[in-house]
Amino acid sequence: MPKIIFVQPCGTRREVEATQGNSIMEAALKHGVTGITAECNGSAACATCHAYFEDDRLSQLGAIEAHEEDMLDFTASERLPVSRLSCQVTVTDAMDGMIVRLPESQ
Amino acid sequence: MANPVPVIDDISLESLYADPYPSFQRLQRDAPVAFVRAAGINLVTRFDDIVQIERDFETFASSNPVSLMNRVMGHSLMRKDGEDHRLERKAIEPSFRPGVVRNHWAPRFRVIADDLIDQFDDHGATDLFGSFAAPMASLSLMEMLGLRDVSWQELAIWSQSLMDAVGNYGQDPEVIRRGQVASDGIDAAIEVVLPKLEASPDPSIISSMLQAEDKHSIAQIRANVKVIIGGGLNEPRDTILTTAYGLLSNPDQRACVMEDANLWSAAFEEAVRWISPIGMYPRRVTRDVVLGGMQLREGDQLGICVGAANRDESHFDRPDLFDILRPKQSHLGFGAGPHYCAGTWVARQMVGAIALPALFGRLKDLRLDEAAEVKLGGWVFRGPLSLPVRWSI
Repeated sequence: MPKIIFVQPCGTRREVEATQGNSIMEAALKHGVTGITAECNGSAACATCHAYFEDDRLSQLGAIEAHEEDMLDFTASERLPVSRLSCQVTVTDAMDGMIVRLPESQ
Repeated sequence: MANPVPVIDDISLESLYADPYPSFQRLQRDAPVAFVRAAGINLVTRFDDIVQIERDFETFASSNPVSLMNRVMGHSLMRKDGEDHRLERKAIEPSFRPGVVRNHWAPRFRVIADDLIDQFDDHGATDLFGSFAAPMASLSLMEMLGLRDVSWQELAIWSQSLMDAVGNYGQDPEVIRRGQVASDGIDAAIEVVLPKLEASPDPSIISSMLQAEDKHSIAQIRANVKVIIGGGLNEPRDTILTTAYGLLSNPDQRACVMEDANLWSAAFEEAVRWISPIGMYPRRVTRDVVLGGMQLREGDQLGICVGAANRDESHFDRPDLFDILRPKQSHLGFGAGPHYCAGTWVARQMVGAIALPALFGRLKDLRLDEAAEVKLGGWVFRGPLSLPVRWSI
């Protein structure tokens, strides 16, 4: 199972074992990682599972579809080039050790 | 060992309609899952239990073989689960995207709001229900659907007739008849616009249904347009009125929002939390499961009371107060999970960014009409039934 490391805005790190095929959002909720709200539970409708990914590993995350692309402009914390909605990112083995930073607010 | 779901005999539909919050509070404290006999359904009132439900659509389904909604409207996405639901939802998404709302729909909403305020008579008094909130919501929805040559009043009547028919558990034949008239009227209105939208696509909802990778069939278009008409008119109308009522009753908060326009969005969210326009919606239990310490059985019908959850003291400080300055916090006013309100970003723009700032910005000394009473009603759907105001000319 790939390990994902969630980092809170204050710097606290939490390593969790994610299940392949789940989304990063689901991995966070399953392990009670705070900072991911996910009001719509993965429908890409609420923009409350925003997270920042590693710059040099963006290509591992899969493409951003039009709907997510639009929604990312409306996140509560600033959108950065490394921003994704974590519900739209599917966990793969290649993501082992990936660092996911959580924003100040959702 | 889980407890059986208690039966509550002394909560009447009349008391829920007049003011559901004391009953909600009692249920939350004593019986967070309870069969309320008058409603004929198991009401779920705690915030955390509802979140658990909405994260598990396989156990708590929206599809329902005995759904009255399906009989009235056809089988819409609101009563589907999983992949069936996802595909239809994805088809309409392009019309509801926040960027599309801001760039395409918001300018139209702004024209509608200004036109309505221009038409206010010059006596400095009006009931905002009929002169502003209802036509604002209806005309905006009409634009978004892509319907033409329908009056706002007609669309509002269709919406109400459908909602009445969906809640017509007593099978009143007159209510059934009016539901059928509305359904036929909507089918005909769709028929009128289909050829044009097929030929020249636009951002409208019906156009999105036609353009989707999984193109809607005519039956899907009819059912989903009806559910959007039923669920997309009264809610923004009621939220316009509730937000205005909250601000007009709390001069300090109103002063804050007039000072800092960024607070309009907080005012809108707080209104949706405080008096959630959809207070209750159904789910069906598909397997024996324990919820909030209560044993539910396969086939049990649940009433998800987000109106109660949004006043859950374990989540909100002094929840009965309207307070636009409370710390930002998730609420369940738009639901949660896969059926999370598709119109959330539309409502944020229409109500929070356009209708209310226009109203409060243009009408000098806007105030509640002290000679008239503000009445609120409802628990499944709730909002002001009238909002008489005065201003200085």
